[in-house]
Amino acid sequence: MDFPSSLPPSLFMTGPLGSSDVPDLSFMCSWRDALTLPESPPQNCKIAAPNSATALLWEPSMPGPLPLLPPCPDPWDPGVTAQDLLFRGGFHYRRQPQVVLDVTEQLSRFLWDHGDIAFAPLGKMMLENFKLEGGRNRSKKMTVVSAKKLLQDLGGHQPWGCPWAYLSHRLRRFSIVGGPVLGKSVSHLLGRLLHEELATRWEQLLLDEAFTGGALAWLPGRTSQVGQLVYPAGGALDRLCFQEVSLPSGGDPQVLGDPGCIQLQGPVRQVVTSTVQGETLLAVRSDYHCAVWKVGKQRRPATLQVLRVEKGATGISLSPHLPGELAVCSRSGAVCLWTPQNGLQQVYKDPETLVFRDPSSWRWADFTAHPRVLTVGDRTGVKMVDTQGPPGCGLLLFRAGAEASCQKGERVLLTQYLRQSDPESLPPTLHLVCTQFSLYLVDERLPLVPMLKWNHGLPSPALLAHLLPPAHPGSPQPLFLGGLGGQVQLLHITGKEPSAPRLAGPPQSLPSSADSLSAFPLLEPKSQKQLQERLEAPTIGLASAFPPCASTPAVWLFQLSAAGDIFYQRLTLQAASSFHRDEEPPSDPGPDSPAPSVPPMDPRPTPSWTSQATACCSRWLEALLQVPPAAPVWAAPTFSHRRLLGRLEPREVEGKVLQGLRAAMAGGQLLQQRDLGLLPSAEPPPAPEPGPQDELSERLEEAWAGQGTAWCKRQQGKISISEPGKQAKRPKRRSQLSSTFSSLTSCLDLPETSSSPHSLERTTSEARLQPPVTPYSQESARQTPQDNMVELPLPKDTPTSRHVATPPSQASSVQAMPSQRSTPGSWPQRKRPRMGF
Amino acid sequence: MSDFSEELARPGSEDGQVETSVVSGTGMHFPWLWKHLDTVATRGKKKKDFAQTTGACLSLIQEALLKQRWQQAAEYMHSYLQTLEDSDSNKKQMAPEIIWKLGSEILFYHPKSSVKTFSAFADQMKNVGVLNYLKHALYLIHHGMLEDAHRNLSQAETWRYGEKSSSQETLINLVQAYKGLLEYYSWSKKKMELSQCDKDDYAYSTEARNTFRHSWKTSVNFSSLIKTPGVWDPFVKSYVEMLEFHGDRDGARKVLTNYAYDKKFPSNPNAHIYLYSFLKRVRAPRAELLRALQILYQIVPSHKLMLEFHTLLRRSDREEHRKLGLGVLFGLLDFAGCTKNITAWKYLASYLRQILMQNHLGWVQEEWKSRRNWWPTFHFSYFWAKSDWKEDKDLAYEKAFVAGMLLGKGCRYFRYILKQDHQDLWKKIKRMKKSVKKYSIVKPAA
Repeated sequence: MDFPSSLPPSLFMTGPLGSSDVPDLSFMCSWRDALTLPESPPQNCKIAAPNSATALLWEPSMPGPLPLLPPCPDPWDPGVTAQDLLFRGGFHYRRQPQVVLDVTEQLSRFLWDHGDIAFAPLGKMMLENFKLEGGRNRSKKMTVVSAKKLLQDLGGHQPWGCPWAYLSHRLRRFSIVGGPVLGKSVSHLLGRLLHEELATRWEQLLLDEAFTGGALAWLPGRTSQVGQLVYPAGGALDRLCFQEVSLPSGGDPQVLGDPGCIQLQGPVRQVVTSTVQGETLLAVRSDYHCAVWKVGKQRRPATLQVLRVEKGATGISLSPHLPGELAVCSRSGAVCLWTPQNGLQQVYKDPETLVFRDPSSWRWADFTAHPRVLTVGDRTGVKMVDTQGPPGCGLLLFRAGAEASCQKGERVLLTQYLRQSDPESLPPTLHLVCTQFSLYLVDERLPLVPMLKWNHGLPSPALLAHLLPPAHPGSPQPLFLGGLGGQVQLLHITGKEPSAPRLAGPPQSLPSSADSLSAFPLLEPKSQKQLQERLEAPTIGLASAFPPCASTPAVWLFQLSAAGDIFYQRLTLQAASSFHRDEEPPSDPGPDSPAPSVPPMDPRPTPSWTSQATACCSRWLEALLQVPPAAPVWAAPTFSHRRLLGRLEPREVEGKVLQGLRAAMAGGQLLQQRDLGLLPSAEPPPAPEPGPQDELSERLEEAWAGQGTAWCKRQQGKISISEPGKQAKRPKRRSQLSSTFSSLTSCLDLPETSSSPHSLERTTSEARLQPPVTPYSQESARQTPQDNMVELPLPKDTPTSRHVATPPSQASSVQAMPSQRSTPGSWPQRKRPRMGF
Repeated sequence: MSDFSEELARPGSEDGQVETSVVSGTGMHFPWLWKHLDTVATRGKKKKDFAQTTGACLSLIQEALLKQRWQQAAEYMHSYLQTLEDSDSNKKQMAPEIIWKLGSEILFYHPKSSVKTFSAFADQMKNVGVLNYLKHALYLIHHGMLEDAHRNLSQAETWRYGEKSSSQETLINLVQAYKGLLEYYSWSKKKMELSQCDKDDYAYSTEARNTFRHSWKTSVNFSSLIKTPGVWDPFVKSYVEMLEFHGDRDGARKVLTNYAYDKKFPSNPNAHIYLYSFLKRVRAPRAELLRALQILYQIVPSHKLMLEFHTLLRRSDREEHRKLGLGVLFGLLDFAGCTKNITAWKYLASYLRQILMQNHLGWVQEEWKSRRNWWPTFHFSYFWAKSDWKEDKDLAYEKAFVAGMLLGKGCRYFRYILKQDHQDLWKKIKRMKKSVKKYSIVKPAA
């Protein structure tokens, strides 16, 4: 192999990261590499780099990615947000943010939501000291108290802000009395555990490293137009699916048949494939397991081996050199070479991090150009380790420090060996290192000095990367860099053997699935939010297919979201002639001059949605809206002592109101007074009485009840009949507002289902959407060695899901409810945002 | 887009930094932390409208840049200039640098921008720093305007700001080195013209010599920078070329030796390659050449010069050199990028035969010991036998020879090639069969 004959100049300084005294020569501009100094006098090589650079553009054919498969029939919940975790009060805009975990609020919520868990043990302990039944305390023991009396004594004390105030207003004083005893033990223990949990969640929110590497892979098929997508499906991401997809050169990708599935017992975190010497292997990493399959000629996967990783696996990679060789790393700091025939060989073990001390237990391993040398990475650096050499020794390939002019707080997020099969491409010695700020290309022949540095500026952790072969022999190779937040950047990297790798043009950003929102019809706020959340779900997998096509090179990019949806987009390489640099003298003297009054005329037309695309989105949306909301995992605590206290039985009317309310909440419907039957005449509603012709309120009301479309249709009919003069009489503002709305109605294209009864539709759609399991996959599912797998808790069981609503079944067990009229102040003043109002 | 200004702010203001890491305790910095915090900030002091609009404008510019919409970016840039009025002194200080970075990026790609526009912009941003001059100069070089670039760099040489720090000195050195490089360009251009001219013309050659001497004087510019640790390939190369031309071989050797062997420098393979080619040019003794290549062998065993190293070692009289010669070949073929290097395979096949004929079985076994468990699948699998034969018959033949020597005649690769009926290679294959039978390190079980 040849080494680049002349490397771009760079300073080399050793030291910790963030030493501000080191001038960063990478200049943070994309064209710096285009200016790599020519060795011969530049007169004869006055290359038209700007031209060739601008010509490099992979233009997406649509403004955003489109869904490839029907939405996953399992409900998806975005999980906790910063709002749930952080202290909201008193946050000031300071230069440096201050993060305070809101343990107090979470603790109080926990005590309200899970009072049974929090207090039951204490209650049980103190059971013998309380007497729940009977009037007077006949016991001789002085330590036994009558609960009834106590509660009566406590009556009338008004707690503040408690949603179950109607239950606890008596208990409140009891809690004051018992506070010194009860409060400490519960709050101490719980507080500590909760703080720990919140800190973990917050860290996870900032950086969810589980999906490093990505859980989506493309297996090329026998012809270049057909291949298989391998991805996890299901709400728990525990079903590994193999979906055959054909990529016609002109049109949209077509899904061929139903996916084959393998049911696993844990969530899939990473999927890697590699074809070495004609043998295709597929490796999967779960939290505590790794498995490897061999994909046969008929594209049928056969399990080779399953590995249990006690401390948790953080990375898996397949060898690009030797078939059936893998590198696995675990949180314990061990890196093993794994071959299904010979088992595990520990290559490296160090619980400490490489360069400086960092608490993260994340480890990564990949291969190098030498089949016996592995890279071992952690947050602080990357090391090359010879598997045959003495243990523990090796050469640092990348160090988070002054050598690469790293910033303070910069850490390695991903390292990847850029394997090359084509001799016409980049040298096979390059490694990609991604941090929160920058991307580095490091050559293993010149460790510590990055060959290329690019400040990617992604607003989410860059955990996914994918290098493609060149579109034409000798042209730059596209490198996709994907952030967890869905942003994808495309870099053009060039540098065949005698020259150093460099950027061949300005990097470009590709649309993310959140950009596709405009392709969907407008919805009611609730459904719109559901759709938006779904589209903004983190991207956990990136794969691309590159069918060699003679005329226009095209790349298919697939993105897997955490909700289990796969989006695709097609990128075509733009013809170089379409945007050549203008040769005419410039009329615009730069940004300091006043902006031209003419609207900006960009040379390229913006891609727009085709009718096919919007139809595809509408179909997908229709299926999505039929996905039931996430099932609540939490139930309101029940206090059954009230049943024991006969005198406090509630009146029947109130029970009915409560039941109605609960039912409406469970159904997500508007509770109207007529639903409850009787109206308390003594209490007029505080809101101003809407006039009979108030269309807006009427419409909102209808929309809230899910009848928006019907109302629109009715109204459109009415408007067409009614005279325009009547409408003009209405107040100006309102008419303006409604006219905006009515202008919206023309483009409102709601699916019919939103107004149709839910239950029937849902069952049929579920049956339709559930991918039938093909016979072979059942076999392979059976082949999975059960003894190697241990039961893993599904994410559903873990308290990731948010508490959404009270199920009606639980609601019915709460029998007491004070009248709203009699104690208006006791109604919770604060709205609980999670309840769904 | 990340908050660019925040990013730039980081190295300077470290006062409140600890607070972000209180929770995680890792010291890791998250550029997306602000995004999370913005959703939480409901109470307290809000960001000012001014800061909001400038922030939004900045992200729009960055988005336009990444979408390669230069026209749009330029228009947003026009609005972004309001950031210079920011009341926040920290941001105000940072603004020129951001404007320079984004502005130069836009003007480099903008279809209507020209060298004049760029220069006008760069001149206004001169107070940003020395790197500004350098970037401007690079832009000018790129557009073939060497004299302007030279003038620019000369200006930059005198740039001073505040206390003279070590980094400032390095930057000035760097500027000087680039200046030296420009002088090297004109020098080598003159040299080329001279070589094409009539050498008898006395007047011309005197003038040329004068220019040479002049540029030679200024090329000392290089010397201060290349003492600073770093990768200075283009500078070292041109410096050495000029030194050599003026007959200062010792000086050139000193520069190259320092560049290759100074411990403070990164282990740059090019430093050793330059030294080796220099030594070769001056016809240095073989021992010196071997020493230079031996170090390169330790750094980059996959380099193509290793084949040259092998031939040097093979011809050596010392036994340890000849033994190393085998190791060099094996080491080269370990690498994924070298598996189809037919010369290496040819050398290995013939050298194996030669060594085994000389009864050095131990050498081969020593090299083979660590490769026995993976070379057969890496090089000599049935798949490779088929594909090598299809793609390159000569390569397949050489590999089959080595496979037979190392794995015996039962090896699949060897058997597959043996089975192929090929007219041209028929004789060679027969000879190979004979050699393998005689010298293979794997003796068939008797």
